[in-house]
Amino acid sequence: MTAEAEIAAAQPKPKFAARFDDWLNPIVVKELRQAVQSRFVITALLILLAIQIVAVAIYLVTAGDVSFSYDAGRTVFMILFGIMLAVSMLFVPLYSGVRLAAERSDTNLDLLFITTIKPRSIIAGKMLAAAVLTVMIFSACLPFLTFTYFLRGVDLPSMVVAMAIGFVAVTLGAQVAIFVACLPVNRAFKFMIGLVAFSQLVSGFVSSLVITGGMLWDGIGSTVSSGHFWQWVGTVALVYVLLVGLLFVLSVALIKPVSANRALPVRLYLTVIWLIGGVAALIGSRVEATHDPVIFWQAAFSVLFAFSIFTAVSERDQPGERVLRTIPESGLKRLLSFFFFSGSANGLIWSALMVAMTYDVCWIWWRLFPSFNSLGELVGATRWLTVMNLYLFCYALTAALVRRYILKRVGTNLTWLIAVVMTTIGSTIPLLIGMLLFMNDLPWWQSKYGRWLVGNPFVWDVEAHRELYLSIGIAWAVMAIAFNLQWFLERIRWFFQADLPAAEKVESS
Amino acid sequence: MKVEVSNLKKYFGQTRAVDDVSFSFASGQVVGFVGPNGAGKTTTMRILATLDEPSAGQATIDGVSVIEDPERARHLVGYVPDSLPTHRDISVHEYLDFFARAYGLKGAKRTQTVESVEEFTNLSGIRDKMLVALSKGMKQRVTLARALLHDPPVLIMDEPAAGLDPRARIELRELLRALSGQGKAILISSHILTELAEICHGAVIIEHGRILMAGSIADLLSDSVPHRTVLIRVLAGQKELHRDLLQMPHIEAARLNGEEVAAEVSGTDEACADLLAALIARGYRVVEFKQQRANLEEIFMNITKGVVQ
Repeated sequence: MTAEAEIAAAQPKPKFAARFDDWLNPIVVKELRQAVQSRFVITALLILLAIQIVAVAIYLVTAGDVSFSYDAGRTVFMILFGIMLAVSMLFVPLYSGVRLAAERSDTNLDLLFITTIKPRSIIAGKMLAAAVLTVMIFSACLPFLTFTYFLRGVDLPSMVVAMAIGFVAVTLGAQVAIFVACLPVNRAFKFMIGLVAFSQLVSGFVSSLVITGGMLWDGIGSTVSSGHFWQWVGTVALVYVLLVGLLFVLSVALIKPVSANRALPVRLYLTVIWLIGGVAALIGSRVEATHDPVIFWQAAFSVLFAFSIFTAVSERDQPGERVLRTIPESGLKRLLSFFFFSGSANGLIWSALMVAMTYDVCWIWWRLFPSFNSLGELVGATRWLTVMNLYLFCYALTAALVRRYILKRVGTNLTWLIAVVMTTIGSTIPLLIGMLLFMNDLPWWQSKYGRWLVGNPFVWDVEAHRELYLSIGIAWAVMAIAFNLQWFLERIRWFFQADLPAAEKVESS
Repeated sequence: MKVEVSNLKKYFGQTRAVDDVSFSFASGQVVGFVGPNGAGKTTTMRILATLDEPSAGQATIDGVSVIEDPERARHLVGYVPDSLPTHRDISVHEYLDFFARAYGLKGAKRTQTVESVEEFTNLSGIRDKMLVALSKGMKQRVTLARALLHDPPVLIMDEPAAGLDPRARIELRELLRALSGQGKAILISSHILTELAEICHGAVIIEHGRILMAGSIADLLSDSVPHRTVLIRVLAGQKELHRDLLQMPHIEAARLNGEEVAAEVSGTDEACADLLAALIARGYRVVEFKQQRANLEEIFMNITKGVVQ
């Protein structure tokens, strides 16, 4: 044993509390310290508790003799739960999102990015702090909620499940708020996105309340032992974990430096959850003899890949030195890394492959099991969403062309905006022209107007013109690829022929 | 330890915020980064602090690229931005403790580091005060303390003296001297040029995103002011002295300034010595004969045009 090791061994071991303190994420420590000292948080908690006391008091005073009522417990529980959920779903996401957005602003930016803390620790800390804050609010409300048990009409398993649903809804809302706060857009745009997220939050609140209410009135106690209940719990838990994970990797990618390989974890994660979700959906479909799980999987990932197309086209044309250093040297690894590394061409090819593979899996599945329920829905949804992505791919590639040759001053990072503008124009202008030309022509409205929607990626449902949509989409895609072919080939050649920096080569040799 | 900035460029659309900027400085040096508003100082500093990415060029700290390897570079650099902390519901000690955790300091080492930095920056007495309740000077100290927590060999300070009262400025100057004495390489921007000149070993003057001049203070003074001003006070005969001076060799200009005569002398110290000898030979009873040194402020005014992008 060396002298240094002996000295180290002689040092008293830190106590568990001290080691636990060191292990804690710094962001969680800071957030919770601020939360417990915040007048805003304390006031919100006190108001919540005061409202709950008043609500229980009003109910008990106005409901008459509750000892004869078998509904009193669950009625009061639903009232208290609704108040708690409403406050939590409004307060926790708002608190988490606004704080992070403020820290990302110019004046406080250094708080997060000047230290050596990793971006993933920052986001994990924010998410964990939101979860702890939720637990704190729920704990404060728990005495009132458990009180309802003594009023009859509500069992303990129902309470636990209701709280779990509430926790899932609130923390998911907080993760969405954190994601929105991470978006690299100006305040006005962020506010608009925040409003959209808020509307989703409201619908999430209503859904949670409806599900919880339905469960309370049906009674959870009797269903806990059934396989169906646990199947449902498993599905919700899987979707929750995958969604939280997705929001996590996206948020981390957003706050990473531009020079980092930001796409790698996102594309890897999407590929992994595409696989896990796909396997789970196929197993579910096989067991239940219905295509519904596959439809859900296909629809969810088609939407994600639509976003990934527009994101990819806005990535850097070529990754910087920092990404270049990490390209593997061996042929197979380099080939695989091409699809996952940051870079516009890499992202577009990966997105197109994922869309194609999703279609292939669905096509094989409906061919293998044509007798399963919801066959028509699976075929319809798969074709519709695949054509939608075909059109979005065309818009993205055309936008890249426009940016390179016409709007040369626009940065690569804004190509998605050009694509969105072009999609909007392509979806509306032809139809408006048609409407002007055939304003009072009834047969046109009845059968032919669909042709004028041909630039709209979302109208596959107009059955009479599907072949037209498909053929134009394919022709456009071929042309867009042809015009971008040289650009694609240059990117591919550059990636595969790129020399690693000298220092890296020395290390690896 | 050397900080090297080479051919750094940063464009915001059509605006060239930083245009081919190159300079370097090393351990123990305090370098003033001087320029009018909008000259590109903050942008350059933010790039060095890994907060921004340049459009082109390279910047390294001890050979570590702040562009390609920002995570490693952050271990080496402490950044004091021009904005002060505005975080609510957190005390000075908690704030510093958070940053110490964020820099990966653990257990007793973290406690010791935070306490020693609080002591060094004279924050021990106010460590339990809420951050928002502090004065500007105190907040500036907290920001400096935050930048020192991981003991970085390089400090980047953007307008640290802005808005500080004279006492706080003097205290800051003493802190910087102490840090320089510890061997830290410091890049500091400020509009208070007289103070900068007192503590800086060198200066980089930037305008319109371009370096106009860079080097040691002594070099800058000799390069930018080719002639020297000599203030002469005599017991009697100021007007005659003024007239005589205009006819003497090496004198470019002379002006009567109350009881003094200010003479612009071209040439070396020898020319000044000859001048003094000539004056005494002519019978002038010289009470005071002193060279007025050009200062950073004068250099700055001479070479910048006040162009704002």
